[in-house]
Amino acid sequence: MPRVARAVWTGIAPVYPVVVALLAWEAFARFGAANPRLFPGLGAIAEQAIVLLRGHQLGPHLGASMTRVALGFGLAVVTGVPLGMLMSRSARFGRTVEPLFSLGYPVPRIALYPIAVFIFGIGHTSKVILVALECLYPIAIQTYYGVRSVNRLYIWSAQNMGAGPSQVFWKVIAPAAAPHVFSGFRIALPIAFIVTVLTEMVSSTEGLGWLILYASASLVQARVFASVAIVAVIGFIVDRLLAVLRNRLIFWEREPVLVAMR
Amino acid sequence: MNREGAVFVAVLALLWQGLASAGMLPGYLVSPTIILGEFVSLARSGELLRHSAVSLYRSLTGLALGAGLGVAIGLLAGISRRVAGFSEPLVSLTYPVPKVAFLPVLLVWFGISDMSKILLIALSCFYPCYIAALYGVRAVDPVWVWAARNMGARPGRVFFRVIVPGAAVHIFGGLRVSLALAFILMLASELIGSSNRLGLGFLLLNADAGGRFDIMFAAILAIATLGFAADRALLFIRRMLLAGYTVSEDVAHA
Amino acid sequence: MPLVEVEHLSQVFVRGDRRIAALDDLHLTVDEGEFVTVVGPSGCGKSTFLHILGGFIPPTEGSMRIAGRDISGPGPDRGVMFQELALFPWRTVFGNVTWGLEVQGRPPAERASIAERYLDLVGLLGFRDAFPLELSGGMKQRVALARVLAFDPTVLLMDEPFGALDAQTRELMQEELQRIWLRTGKTVLFVTHDVEEAVYLGDRVVVFSARPGHIKAEVPVQFPRPRSLEVKKSQAFLESRNQVWDLLREEVLKLREDAATREGAGE
Repeated sequence: MPRVARAVWTGIAPVYPVVVALLAWEAFARFGAANPRLFPGLGAIAEQAIVLLRGHQLGPHLGASMTRVALGFGLAVVTGVPLGMLMSRSARFGRTVEPLFSLGYPVPRIALYPIAVFIFGIGHTSKVILVALECLYPIAIQTYYGVRSVNRLYIWSAQNMGAGPSQVFWKVIAPAAAPHVFSGFRIALPIAFIVTVLTEMVSSTEGLGWLILYASASLVQARVFASVAIVAVIGFIVDRLLAVLRNRLIFWEREPVLVAMR
Repeated sequence: MNREGAVFVAVLALLWQGLASAGMLPGYLVSPTIILGEFVSLARSGELLRHSAVSLYRSLTGLALGAGLGVAIGLLAGISRRVAGFSEPLVSLTYPVPKVAFLPVLLVWFGISDMSKILLIALSCFYPCYIAALYGVRAVDPVWVWAARNMGARPGRVFFRVIVPGAAVHIFGGLRVSLALAFILMLASELIGSSNRLGLGFLLLNADAGGRFDIMFAAILAIATLGFAADRALLFIRRMLLAGYTVSEDVAHA
Repeated sequence: MPLVEVEHLSQVFVRGDRRIAALDDLHLTVDEGEFVTVVGPSGCGKSTFLHILGGFIPPTEGSMRIAGRDISGPGPDRGVMFQELALFPWRTVFGNVTWGLEVQGRPPAERASIAERYLDLVGLLGFRDAFPLELSGGMKQRVALARVLAFDPTVLLMDEPFGALDAQTRELMQEELQRIWLRTGKTVLFVTHDVEEAVYLGDRVVVFSARPGHIKAEVPVQFPRPRSLEVKKSQAFLESRNQVWDLLREEVLKLREDAATREGAGE
């Protein structure tokens, strides 16, 4: 009996806190002193979620947001990875662009969004730029660390075996730095998602963030919660997909602990 | 800052100023001298102080709340598997969610007051500190704990004298991220939700609406300065508290 | 003509405004097929010496030749085996051993047959599809040995390859290495801090002085090959070992005296 119980427990363990939290929510909604309009129960939320999903509203907005996430993230990768590599290869270059990080990092780059909207309009571009700007930091920094921490003995072994500089780069440095570089991606992708939703909430005509604001304008709280829940699930799925991809590509190392994240 | 970096910044600033003076820049790219002038005038009139104070109040209160809870629960989760078993799934589930999405909800529950913004900031600041505290505790070498117990220290003592200091480096890393988040969400909430016509985000929006790019850039400068100063202050505190640990402040942060 | 010739080798490291002389006017020759072991007190520069021979660090002064050709930079004529992990973790055992052959542009079939031959030689053919992180320390070093033999270098340079292994594994690996060496007939320069290992493995033990390193003495070792681990118990072995040990101890004591005088002078 204990063995069966233990197996069941392992299956339930990751899920039960969520269940408890949801039950607590439902309990508070029903028996708490809250106004049901302000604090809807799970049933009402689920209802509104279904309406949202069925009404074909989600599709185009999801598409718009994901496009922005992809473009912004892609732009950050294309600029950030070479930037990080150059910083690590050339100490002089690293020192020159250092202000970008020491000055730029603690500054909320979202402050530039209103101007970006003025210059580039309310569509994709202003948001993509901001997403790229935010994602640049973790990607460049992690790439820098990744390349810098490549074990010297790997490079020496490769040179010993007759590899030229380009072979050393593609066949040794790239795979050796890959775990760190991917860490940067793992940190940056949720940021891309968050910044996209954020900018869409500040000013946009479409997108998941806009959808949330639109729902809140209707004054039906359940609808707001439904849209937030949907956005939450999407964000979670995107993150998980990247984790799976990471474990397939970087099969020789466990995922390191990520302390620096948003 | 090092020499090459300073040169880089100086060159950029001079280039900007030069192009602006020559009239080669579009109207919204105001020259640095004008920005500085507006900044000073806003400072003199006390407006800057008013808005900065409100923004700072919101950010720091939210930070204190969120980081405090995050560190406390993270430490607990680090030493107790049962607590971790409960908190970990919830945290990893909600971590990739844009917390800013909760702003409309908070606005309805708590109105257009500061409370909604503070709670949003607290919600966001919770995560990095929780994670940092949790992994900070886990990173404490068990040998240290055993050595302390061996010398007769009771669990409470061990916690405060061994585990917390041991996790401190990680915790400061989390604090740093949370601090940056606090400012970002302060701005975001002031840009999205109504802000009682107070706050640097409001200043920014107002200037945007009025087409006053000089004020916009001055506000951005104020925000940048505040963020930078707060980060430096935190680093200073860290240096004071953690003197003697291996703490290297180089290009990469956190 | 000796296979390896080192003349007037000196190495000075500059750190800030301090000049650290690591090696000083070193001379060494190694004949083809010889197994030469190198011992010395810690910090004497023996690893630096090997890294310079490997071509990873340029020497401050001096010349080095292999088979009459000057050495400048790393290359597959000198196969290097390091103490710690240099196996690529993202490649299987097989992938690691064939890496050098890939770089040389050999066709897949040739690569496979060479890799299999050497994996068989080190006894790990059954692990060809395993990843380095699945292997024990001794197994990893055997793969490293196979890898370095696969591209057929003229000389093998080994930098304390068994230093990170536990004592039992180390002994077994010494015997393994000897067996493989007898099969392949390579010329080997083997750096170690373990005197027993040096005497067991070498035809000749070169003793380094304390820093700045130069050759203090060379002790020939005359036991017949193949040497089983039993030979370590023999009287003759102990005598050789003591001889090397005493030479080494002089240098270690010199180090201590130096440190004491420097402390006294308030450095």
